[in-house]
Amino acid sequence: MKAIFSIALGILAAIGGFVDMGDLVFNAAAGATFGYQLLWVVVIGVVGIITYSEMCGRVAAVSKRAVFEAVRERLGFRVGLVALIAAQIVNLMTLCAEVGGVAVVLHLLSNLPYRLLIVVGALALVVVIWTLSFEYLERIFGYVGLCLIVFAVAAVKLNPDWGAVGRGFVPSANTGELLLYAFFAVGLLGAAMTPYEVYFYSSGAVEEGWTPKDLRTNKANSIIGYGLGGFLSFALMISAGALLLPHGISADFLGTSALMAQAPLGEIGLLLALVGMLFAIGGAALDVAFSGAYNLAQFLGWEWGKYRKPSGAPRFTLTWLVLFALASLVILTGVDPVLVTEYSVIFSAVALPLTYVPILLVANDRAYMGTHANGKLGNAFGLAYLVVIVGIAVAAVPLLILTNAGQG
Amino acid sequence: MSESIDVGLGLLDHQLVDSDGRRCGKVDDLEVEGVREGKPVVAAILVGRRSQVHVPWDRVEKVDSAVHLKGSSRELRLGRGDDRMRRWLEWIPGA
Repeated sequence: MKAIFSIALGILAAIGGFVDMGDLVFNAAAGATFGYQLLWVVVIGVVGIITYSEMCGRVAAVSKRAVFEAVRERLGFRVGLVALIAAQIVNLMTLCAEVGGVAVVLHLLSNLPYRLLIVVGALALVVVIWTLSFEYLERIFGYVGLCLIVFAVAAVKLNPDWGAVGRGFVPSANTGELLLYAFFAVGLLGAAMTPYEVYFYSSGAVEEGWTPKDLRTNKANSIIGYGLGGFLSFALMISAGALLLPHGISADFLGTSALMAQAPLGEIGLLLALVGMLFAIGGAALDVAFSGAYNLAQFLGWEWGKYRKPSGAPRFTLTWLVLFALASLVILTGVDPVLVTEYSVIFSAVALPLTYVPILLVANDRAYMGTHANGKLGNAFGLAYLVVIVGIAVAAVPLLILTNAGQG
Repeated sequence: MSESIDVGLGLLDHQLVDSDGRRCGKVDDLEVEGVREGKPVVAAILVGRRSQVHVPWDRVEKVDSAVHLKGSSRELRLGRGDDRMRRWLEWIPGA
């Protein structure tokens, strides 16, 4: 039983930390546009996030340092500050997307006015986070979010051409629209490897007081958690490819994703999809808001942690409260959450090297890590992904402009 | 503490933790004495970027992934930003 509970961080990492607005939007849109052709990109993204989250968890367990403590020590104040500012801008954009997503799902569930639900949704999240302990937050958002497995059932029920699905795992680009294909590839990688995932994961490991004895749990957490996230991403893309593409439906609305479960499974499918989305996106909002507060506190040396009472870490608490307020205000202006998501994912891709380079440096540092420093295999993966990350960081904004944010 | 450490990598920008386990700032700078005598010694840790607080080196308990201090952050005059902000939260139930 203990083993099941000890991977709760991994489940939350999978549900809120991996499957969030970015993945829901990009996987559905990629499936609706290119069918199963981009499945291989999700595999690359998932292996990447497993590689780096395992490194972060290991650094946290061995050296007791979360990401931005390491960033501050290795890069110093000035250079570290650039990384911090980039991370915080991307975090705030991501939080706006998640807060908007929660309101959209609540609107689909209740049909109450959308703007009212932005306020209600954000307030409800704040109250739940304020009241519950870290362990309960992980379990509630993680386990209820597992309703998203309905998309896997839907994908099977939609009778996809499994041969074509299989070919989707082999890199290829049979399309005249190469730019759009590249835009979705960058988006899928950005969504799979969004920086807040590792900020939250490493800080969570410190919160739970991991030691080198927990390194096996760390490996299991990152592989099972993000592997599950990847599995759900496949399900979303396959459902979209089987249902939306043949009917020429684009996935511009979050509700379209829920329809992918309703079409083959009826009302119960719709309900499970919406509840799963609500808890996954809500969990993501929690992860992102906390990541913003973790980063700032860790960089500046403030007390932090959910294991403290809110007033035990005042500036940490005020930071996540202010982030929720700012994100709600941005979404209240009426910007489309799906559009915000696309921009936040693309700018995540730009900020990726600033997050992952310091992690790779620290994970290699024997003064910190002793015998637990990266081995040859870890470094081979780490460096290979560094090349991928720098590539997508450079390509992200040009592709955003050239494809008009995926509108072609 | 006879073991030698690299001051730039092993001390600067490290987390400060008081005797209650409370995080209370970073090692923003160091005060070094005895440079002219040829025997430089770290005399104090400087905390804060504008109004700096001196923490004499004899208040350092040990250095590992963080710098652990003897005494509470209050008596060392550290963590005051958190102390000031606490009153904004204390009135809320469950804080």
